Amino acid sequence: MTHFNLNEDQQDCLQELINVAMGQASDQLARYLDTFVYLKVPSIEQVSSSQISDTLKVEESAAAVVSQGFFGYEGIRGEALLVYQPKDSDRLADLLGYEPDELSVEEQIIDLSSILTTTFLNVFASQIDNQMSYSAPRFLSSAASNFSDHIEQHTFNWDLALKVKITYQVTDYSFNCDMILLIPESAIVNITQVIDRILEEF
Amino acid sequence: MKDSTFCHTIAERINTGVLVLDIEYNIVEFNRFMQVHAHKKQEDVVGKSVFEVFPELPRRWFERKLASVIQLNSPSFCSWEQRHHLFELPHTRPITTDSKYMAQNCTFMPIVGEQGISHVCILIEDATDVAHYQGKLNHVLDELARANRIDGLTQVFNRKHWEECLDKEFSRARRYGHNVALIMFDLDHFKKLNDTYGHQGGDKVLVDTAARIKSLLRLCDQFGRYGGEEFAIILPETDLNGALDVAERIRSSIASTVINFQGSAIKVSTSVGVSVIDSSHQRYEDLISSADYALYQAKKLGRNRVANSHDFATDAALC
Repeated sequence: MTHFNLNEDQQDCLQELINVAMGQASDQLARYLDTFVYLKVPSIEQVSSSQISDTLKVEESAAAVVSQGFFGYEGIRGEALLVYQPKDSDRLADLLGYEPDELSVEEQIIDLSSILTTTFLNVFASQIDNQMSYSAPRFLSSAASNFSDHIEQHTFNWDLALKVKITYQVTDYSFNCDMILLIPESAIVNITQVIDRILEEF
Repeated sequence: MKDSTFCHTIAERINTGVLVLDIEYNIVEFNRFMQVHAHKKQEDVVGKSVFEVFPELPRRWFERKLASVIQLNSPSFCSWEQRHHLFELPHTRPITTDSKYMAQNCTFMPIVGEQGISHVCILIEDATDVAHYQGKLNHVLDELARANRIDGLTQVFNRKHWEECLDKEFSRARRYGHNVALIMFDLDHFKKLNDTYGHQGGDKVLVDTAARIKSLLRLCDQFGRYGGEEFAIILPETDLNGALDVAERIRSSIASTVINFQGSAIKVSTSVGVSVIDSSHQRYEDLISSADYALYQAKKLGRNRVANSHDFATDAALC
């Protein structure tokens, strides 16, 4: 399982890329949403497919989980999961600048997910001279259906994934949610090559 | 040049709507899919505001949506699952689905020009088919969930679901100090009835009785078949007097009704046990035991009558 383990330099480089992306994303979001958005230092770790349901078990109480796929040049691709807690969605419409009767809570969550994912990944991609495309965000689970049920029903066709967890906080709206980027095994090799190229250029 | 003609031809022929707006919301591109489905000519719409051409658009929402695309330079999406359609367009299955307008998946993409974002491209995909089959699937899932709750013969709650209801109601009543009453009733001499008229006769009695009792209850009362010829009713927010009232109505209704089965007039009666939640009930099963005990007393005292567990509790205390 260690054949694509990031070495210390690679890990630092990835961490730095993510930190910079977080900074710029938070700035853009603050301007668009007209309120401060804090992004907490993420954790980067490898997870195996057998661990994934355990890793995501903590999200069991989540009110909603949204998935959005992303894909760029050089084989960089993955899935972003946005995890919302029940109390988080009270003032979403307000935060997004909509009137509550203009759109359902589900649509607000989908809209915000897309904004958080694409803002962060656009900046991340531009740092590695790449460009991301995105699939439409979809609910993996909502109040009606349980997330861990959803995860446990699958046998995955991947063994290992790189997991990056970033917490978003909007204190003015006492809102926070987690963004979990999962990069499958096949794409980690590609991202490692990109990181190596950046390290060489230094 | 050849390349751009090529792309243009594809954009024209593709089975997806392509609608390009400038940042003032004026229409710049309107491909064949849009022309055909919206039944509008390109020359009639280009240069016009999208809100003029499609007055059905929720204007404020639409402007905010485009603002996010332009300001964040990132795509945005709008799925039929949250918003069935954005544009009121007809679709390709008008005969075999019941959808009036095309269900749509829309993608909003920023187009960057020399001075930043100059346009927004909206792709409109027909999702009517998916929406139709998802609707059918949901319907089947609802049916399955219903079948899982309902007793097939009498169409009242089955034992399992009824007990789950009682568990919830009981916990709620205990937590907030509310009342909840339980009625259990059992048709008298049912075995004899089965022996006389056969199981079909017995079934007819169960079906007719359940339907009759259902009509006597409030919407919030939960009526289930507890087993064989025994039924149970949860009465939320009901005190002993209220429950005894209902119990008596049930008893007299059953006793006064003749059930016709293959030319025979079947007369049945029922014994009814009533109990109301009190401090001695720790678990919902305790409440069932009380009501069941009262039912047993009603049988013992000669059937076709109502008994309540609290009378016997008092008697026991006096002795």
